[in-house]
Amino acid sequence: MNRRSFLKTTAVAASLAAVAPIVNVKSAKADENKFKEALNKITGGKTPKTSSDVKLVAPNIAENGAVVPIKASVNLPVEQVKAIHVFAKDNPNPYVFSFYPTTQNGEAFISTRIKLAKTTEVYAVAELNDGTFLQAFKKVKVTIGGCG
Amino acid sequence: MNLTRRDFLELAAVLGLTATGGDALAKLNKLKPEEVFEFKPVGNVTLLHICDLHAHLKPLYFREPSTLLSHPSLVGEPGFLCGEAYLDYYGIKRGSIRQYFDTAVDFVELAHKYGKMGGVAYMATIVKNIIAERGRDRVLFMDSGDTWQGTAVALFTKAKAIVDVQNALGIDVMVGHWEFTYGKDRVMELIDNHLKAEFISQNIFDEMWEEPVFKPYTIREVGGVKIGVIGNSYPYTPIANPREFIQGWTFGIRMENLQQIVDELRNDKKVDLVVLLSHDGFALDIALAKNIKGIDILFSGHTHDPAPKPIFVGNTMIVIAGSHGKYVGRLDLEVKNRKIVRYNYKLIPVASNFIKPDPEVEKLVNHYYKPYEKKLSQVIGKTETLLYKRDTFYSTFDRVISEAIREETDAEIVFTPGYRWGTTVLPGEDITVDNVYEMTAITYPDVYRFEMKGSQLKMILEDIADNVFNENPLYQQGGDMSRLLGMEYEIKITAPMGKRIRNIRVNGKPFDPNRYYVLAAWGGNLHRAGRNPKKFRPVYDIVIDYIKREKVVKPPMKSNVKVIDIPCGCPKKGGICP
Repeated sequence: MNRRSFLKTTAVAASLAAVAPIVNVKSAKADENKFKEALNKITGGKTPKTSSDVKLVAPNIAENGAVVPIKASVNLPVEQVKAIHVFAKDNPNPYVFSFYPTTQNGEAFISTRIKLAKTTEVYAVAELNDGTFLQAFKKVKVTIGGCG
Repeated sequence: MNLTRRDFLELAAVLGLTATGGDALAKLNKLKPEEVFEFKPVGNVTLLHICDLHAHLKPLYFREPSTLLSHPSLVGEPGFLCGEAYLDYYGIKRGSIRQYFDTAVDFVELAHKYGKMGGVAYMATIVKNIIAERGRDRVLFMDSGDTWQGTAVALFTKAKAIVDVQNALGIDVMVGHWEFTYGKDRVMELIDNHLKAEFISQNIFDEMWEEPVFKPYTIREVGGVKIGVIGNSYPYTPIANPREFIQGWTFGIRMENLQQIVDELRNDKKVDLVVLLSHDGFALDIALAKNIKGIDILFSGHTHDPAPKPIFVGNTMIVIAGSHGKYVGRLDLEVKNRKIVRYNYKLIPVASNFIKPDPEVEKLVNHYYKPYEKKLSQVIGKTETLLYKRDTFYSTFDRVISEAIREETDAEIVFTPGYRWGTTVLPGEDITVDNVYEMTAITYPDVYRFEMKGSQLKMILEDIADNVFNENPLYQQGGDMSRLLGMEYEIKITAPMGKRIRNIRVNGKPFDPNRYYVLAAWGGNLHRAGRNPKKFRPVYDIVIDYIKREKVVKPPMKSNVKVIDIPCGCPKKGGICP
């Protein structure tokens, strides 16, 4: 990533952080339903297929849950990619953002920071122009830490 | 010392060099040198390795863990091996010096027989002998970090003493972890102006611009072989240690970046061998090697494991060289057409009683100790029981530290961190000021008292447990559980995250998740999560005064933690107890 694209994405990240407030821990089941609801809203009920064409880079253990750096990309010509949608499964609001690349982006790639309320799977869901959905996910641990 | 000729031969064989120490030599001066040179040199390349010296310039006792537990799918294999299971796994002879250095079995008895371990002047003799034998241009000396912190002399000189010793030892390349707790300005000052070794790391970036802070790799020609050495500093430094020391830097494992560098070294730089010098932890590195293609040798560190034999993950050889200056790892290689065709590895124990110290390095050590000698050698008390550090849940020296903090702060529960560095004091021996620093010499030594709701305390304990017992080593931080005084609990290691800890009792009473408890802690981030924090004196001052008052300490050997699903401390594969 060059400085220019970084500056662009930090602006995005700053606005994203504002919409993901920390709320008290709720039951795992409620979270699961919330995530499915949020996902269905985007996919119209379709289940994304896990694919190696979608790449998600995120830390195993977050250094700071408030700003977790992630990179998401789709290894297909940018013309075929309508959007990359990112979800944090156990966030109070699991939908994080959608990124719509254009041909001027050159590739379907985004690097930004997201806020995680607690340990969760992060999903990158690629929406292709032919209506299919592909995904990659990774567990990111959010911890107070302490051993050395 | 009660060494027989047979013991000595064994010892000399393990050492792989001519032992020239005091009375052992007098008894055995008829021995021919060739009988004791057991190491068979191979090829043109010698890679020397140390890790986790923790600033121990002088010899010490250091007992390996009596309990080393993790998920049952991980225990009983290198990374989680101790005691009898370790001896069986590596086929080590009972009563041997190898047993003494590598395990807690019969430790006190063997300590009286073989004496103290490590000491940089003794290490220097081993290194210089190897260099004399092989030639400097055939030797590369690597240091996996956690070198600058762990003793008073390191703390008082802000690591300068240790850097000078590294220079005298001839360290060529290093990575870091506790180094960063001196703060990034001091780290940069030492690296730029004093350290002769190259400090490399592919996994430390400037947070703002995502630019690497250090050179990610170095290329060295050793014995005519072009070697690319990549560095991995401890990926979880900002989580395990206070963030303010490295504000603005971001770490992580960064597998994608690592794979790119490996490919670059192989394809563009045309190196013969790719080496990863790491402070990731042994279990994490084993998992890492399964995900990265093209690393020939991985020199690990952080988790302090002594591993006398290399392990292989695909084509990657992984070694780790213990801790506290107890060992030097020697790997000889014959390389043909960018392939290792033959190798020989030995984890050489630095058995200080049987090695003549190098005068130059000994002088340097004495020089750095001199201003503090009087303070540090002061006897403050005695111990009746063995004082040790290494155990997954409980240790006697930590018990003494926690008792001291309880007296000072009047807290209900005391947290002491599950670091893996420290020292050992034999039963009946004096405790010195230096010993206390060996357990507590950190740059953020303040003790805090604060209040925390039971439910939050439980959650934090679960969180720490997951860092230690997660089934996937990539999510482990490579330390032990925090030690708790005033609290007893049971743990089911195989339970899911958040559900491992049960039957908690606080000072004999059932645990109440809705009540606020008064806690005291040091060496971590815990107080930041509590309410009404109050700062106390540095932990070492509290402990020194406590031992002076007590005169004799006798902490119990019994742990306050009961493990439900693994009935012993050193299980074999699958969690089965010997």
